[in-house]
Amino acid sequence: MKYVTHFRAAITAAVGFAVILVLWQVIGNAKLLGPTFPPLSSVIASLTVPYRRHLYIRASLATLSTAAWGYGIGQAGGLAAALFGHLLPFSRAGLDRLASVIHAIPMIALGPLFMAVLSPVWAGTAIAAIGVFFVSYIAGCTAIESAAPTHRDLFQIFGASPLRRLWLLDVPSALPALVTGLRQAVPVAFLGTILGEWFGSAHGLGLLILSAMENFQIALLWSTVILCCGLSLIIFVLLGYVERIVGRHYR
Amino acid sequence: MKRFLARWWGPCLLLLAWQVGVQASGVNQIVMPHPMAVLMDMASNPLVYGRAAAGTLLVAVPGLTAGLAMGGMLALLCQFSAVMEYLLTPLAMMLSSIPVVAIIPVLSRLFGYHMTTLIIIVAIICFLPAFVYMHAGLRSVPAGSLDVFSVFGAGARARLLLLRLPASVPSCMTALRIAAPTAILASLTAEYLMQTGGLGALFRITTAEFRSERAFGCSLVAMVLSVCCFFLALHAERAVTRRWR
Repeated sequence: MKYVTHFRAAITAAVGFAVILVLWQVIGNAKLLGPTFPPLSSVIASLTVPYRRHLYIRASLATLSTAAWGYGIGQAGGLAAALFGHLLPFSRAGLDRLASVIHAIPMIALGPLFMAVLSPVWAGTAIAAIGVFFVSYIAGCTAIESAAPTHRDLFQIFGASPLRRLWLLDVPSALPALVTGLRQAVPVAFLGTILGEWFGSAHGLGLLILSAMENFQIALLWSTVILCCGLSLIIFVLLGYVERIVGRHYR
Repeated sequence: MKRFLARWWGPCLLLLAWQVGVQASGVNQIVMPHPMAVLMDMASNPLVYGRAAAGTLLVAVPGLTAGLAMGGMLALLCQFSAVMEYLLTPLAMMLSSIPVVAIIPVLSRLFGYHMTTLIIIVAIICFLPAFVYMHAGLRSVPAGSLDVFSVFGAGARARLLLLRLPASVPSCMTALRIAAPTAILASLTAEYLMQTGGLGALFRITTAEFRSERAFGCSLVAMVLSVCCFFLALHAERAVTRRWR
């Protein structure tokens, strides 16, 4: 029964998605939204045209590497902060406040700071890392507290050492929340990277988007944005699968 | 004072690190201005900053309102029409997995470089959390309450007005809290890209002219604005949720 429901939900989503794509093609073909809304077919054509393949691959690799660094640093920082707050409870209120202030700061306002302190390449990484930090901190705090108190009591009663409890109880029960944090941070890392690239990077998808926008290259603009969103979507969906597997095993 | 420090030691530490860092490294003022120089520039040109901040708020607030209204309406439509649900759920799923702010260039080309475009952009970006949370909120009715309603023979309208809408109020407030800083970020980014006024445009111009105190000042005003919006929304959420539950 559960599989039938899953199957139906997947079919429903696929049908909805297909309808959106068809609508896009029809509206673009009829030019209902003007010349700046190209049909899907011409965006795909611009995405697959051979002479741009190199450009797309180079820009994607640059963006992916910046985003990956930001993602890694942000995750490490967020988890470390969550662990710090857990081990030293008096710092928890301040850490929470700091995290929400950092979250509320518009990422784009951090541009000049990082451009001044770091090189243009690292500005994107730093902005992405700051965005990822918040997501990862929240996920880390949830994860640390997700072991049931009754289970903890059980470990205590049977005289388990803290290390044994950590390995057999705390880590397994923290995994689902951690993986959720990993998934939710993906678009944030991309967003930070793109913003950083708008600030004066020499390569990357963000730069391509900006120059296509300013030079009125509509097909290139759409195809680059689609490429960027597609990359984010693929990683997000893959981590969604990991999340489901982890959830099945550890919940 | 002790309570203040316990909560705000983080931002205070950052400010201190900035001042000490600039003094210790001895970098050029153009590269990295002193916090004092930035504050002086802000204090001596309140009108410049005020006008720019007002411009940003004039985009963010209507955009946020429109986005929340749009999200709420579509979430309501999903309650009534299965077709809408089929169409909107994958769209919302997709939007949550991509960097939405990156589509601003596409939207700005699509709608043209106007003030209305800015508001449309903010509304579209705020629409997502509004839709997701209100959609969930309309379903989060207390266990068994739907049975009570059907036992007493309540119609679809009564169920919506007396059960689903009140049940969704806390989620609406959560959507507001999530969307408020996003609205500021979206309007700043759109202003930055389109250079149509507001803090974002002032920020871009002053960065290009190497007037770094002003650029950092803009950045600071934007941060304060966004943090204030976030905490206002947070307090509103807490106040409403406390009364509602």
